[in-house]
Amino acid sequence: AQKSTSLSRKAWLKDWTKLIYSTNLTPEEIIGDKREEDQEEDDKMEMDEDDFFKIKKTSSDNAEELDMSNDPVDPEELKKWEDEDMLESIRHLFITGGDVDAEQG
Amino acid sequence: MAHTLVNFSGHQHLRHRLVLAILTGKHIRIDKIRSEDKNPGLRDFEISLLRLLEKITNGTIIEISVTGTSILLKPGIIFGGALQHDCPKSRSIGYFLEPIIMLAPFAKRPVQLTLKGITTDDHDLSADLLRTVTLPHLQLFGISNGLELRIKKRGAPPEGGGEVQFLCPIVKQLKTLNFVDPGKVKRIRGIAHAVRVNPQFSNRMIEASRSILNRYIPDIYLYSDVYKGDESGKSPGYALSLLAESTTSVIHCAEAVSEPGVAPEDIGLKATRQLLAEVNKGGCVDRKHQTLVLMFMVLGSEDVGRCRMGEPTPRTIQFLRDVQTFFGTSFKIVALPGCSQLLYSCYGTGYVNANRTLA
Repeated sequence: AQKSTSLSRKAWLKDWTKLIYSTNLTPEEIIGDKREEDQEEDDKMEMDEDDFFKIKKTSSDNAEELDMSNDPVDPEELKKWEDEDMLESIRHLFITGGDVDAEQG
Repeated sequence: MAHTLVNFSGHQHLRHRLVLAILTGKHIRIDKIRSEDKNPGLRDFEISLLRLLEKITNGTIIEISVTGTSILLKPGIIFGGALQHDCPKSRSIGYFLEPIIMLAPFAKRPVQLTLKGITTDDHDLSADLLRTVTLPHLQLFGISNGLELRIKKRGAPPEGGGEVQFLCPIVKQLKTLNFVDPGKVKRIRGIAHAVRVNPQFSNRMIEASRSILNRYIPDIYLYSDVYKGDESGKSPGYALSLLAESTTSVIHCAEAVSEPGVAPEDIGLKATRQLLAEVNKGGCVDRKHQTLVLMFMVLGSEDVGRCRMGEPTPRTIQFLRDVQTFFGTSFKIVALPGCSQLLYSCYGTGYVNANRTLA
C-alpha cells in the first residue's frame, strides 16, 4: 500500500505531456520514473513488471512481449482486499456510501 | 499521388499501428520483427490478423518478406459487410476484435463479422467484457444503433470452438467526448459461465463474489450463463466477469478465468478483488480501454475532447506517440489536484467517414 501512495504522489509531479512527446524515454522508463531515480528504482521496477514476463532491461526490443490488453494481475494488490479496513475504505465510492467528507472525516 | 510511408521496427504494438495506418491511409512498413529471435518473424496470430484486416478492407496490399521479419501494408478503404474469420488457437478473439472495433464505425457498409475461436482467456478482453463494457464505451461517441456482440458459442482454451458475431453500424463522424465526472457506483453486474465442467461452478463463483460485494450496494445481479452441448466449445473452463456502473455511466470491469488446481470460489474472489481495485483507482475509463477511448477522441469532431483517466499504461504511452506520428495530434495531460488521476484533452481531427455510401 505504501508503494502505491508514493507512486501516485509522484504522478502528481510528473509532466506527462512533456515526458511522452519530448523525450526518448521508453514507456516503461516513463512509468518507472527512471529519469530521476535511476539506480534505486531499478530493482523495484523489475518487481513491478515481472508478474507475467521478464523484461530484459537492456534489450526490451528482443524480449517476447505480448501485445495484450489485460494487465498482469499483481497478487499483492489483490491481497490488500482481504483486509476489512481496506474494504470499508472505498465505501464512499458507492452510491449508498454517503459523502466523501463525512466518510473520511 | 505520393503516399507517406511510416516506418517502425519490432513486433510490439502491431495492432494499433496497423489500425492507425488504415484510418489515415498512410503506408506502413515494419522491420525487424523478432529478427533476433530463435524463431524469427511474424507469429501465426499476427498473420491471421493481417488476413482479417485484408478481409475488412478493399484494395489493401500486404507484402510480407520471405523470412517474415518485415511487412509493408498499403491500406485500401474500410469496406465492412458480412465477414467470417477463424482465429488461431494461439490468441483469443479479443485480440482480433479490439482493432476491428476501432475500424468498423468507418466502414462503407455496416460490419457483420463472425469470429470463431477462443472466447475467454487471460490475455485479451473476453467476449463477455467486450459485449458488456467495451461496446457501451462506443456509445459515448454516438455509435449505438445496431451495435451488438452475440456470443453464440463459448470456447475455452486450449481448443476453443467458440463463436461470436459482431454487428457495428457506420457513422459519419464521432461526437466529442467530455467525460470528467466519475460519479458513484450504483450497480454491479456479473456473468459467470462454466463450460464442460460441473455447472454448479458458476454458482460457487457467484456466491463467493457476493460474500464481498453485498456489503456495498443492494443492486447486484450476477447471472449464471449456461451453454450446453455444441454451444459450449471443445475445452473445459469457467470464468467470472464483473462490472461496476456509476451514476455517470462509468464502467469499471474485472475478470478472472479458471486455472488448473484453483477452486471456483477463489476465481470468484479474485475477480471481485480486482473489481474493487479498479473501482478504487477511479477515473472515467479503465486501463483496458484507454487506447480505444483516446483513439476515438482523436477522431472526434473539431472541438476539444476531455477525459479523466488514471496514469497511462506503457501501451498507451506508445499509442499516444504513434497517434502523433500518424495524425499529428498530441494530447494535453495534466494532473488533477488531490488525486492520482489525469485529465487528457485533445483537439479532435474532425475525421469524416469518407467510405460511407451517400444517401
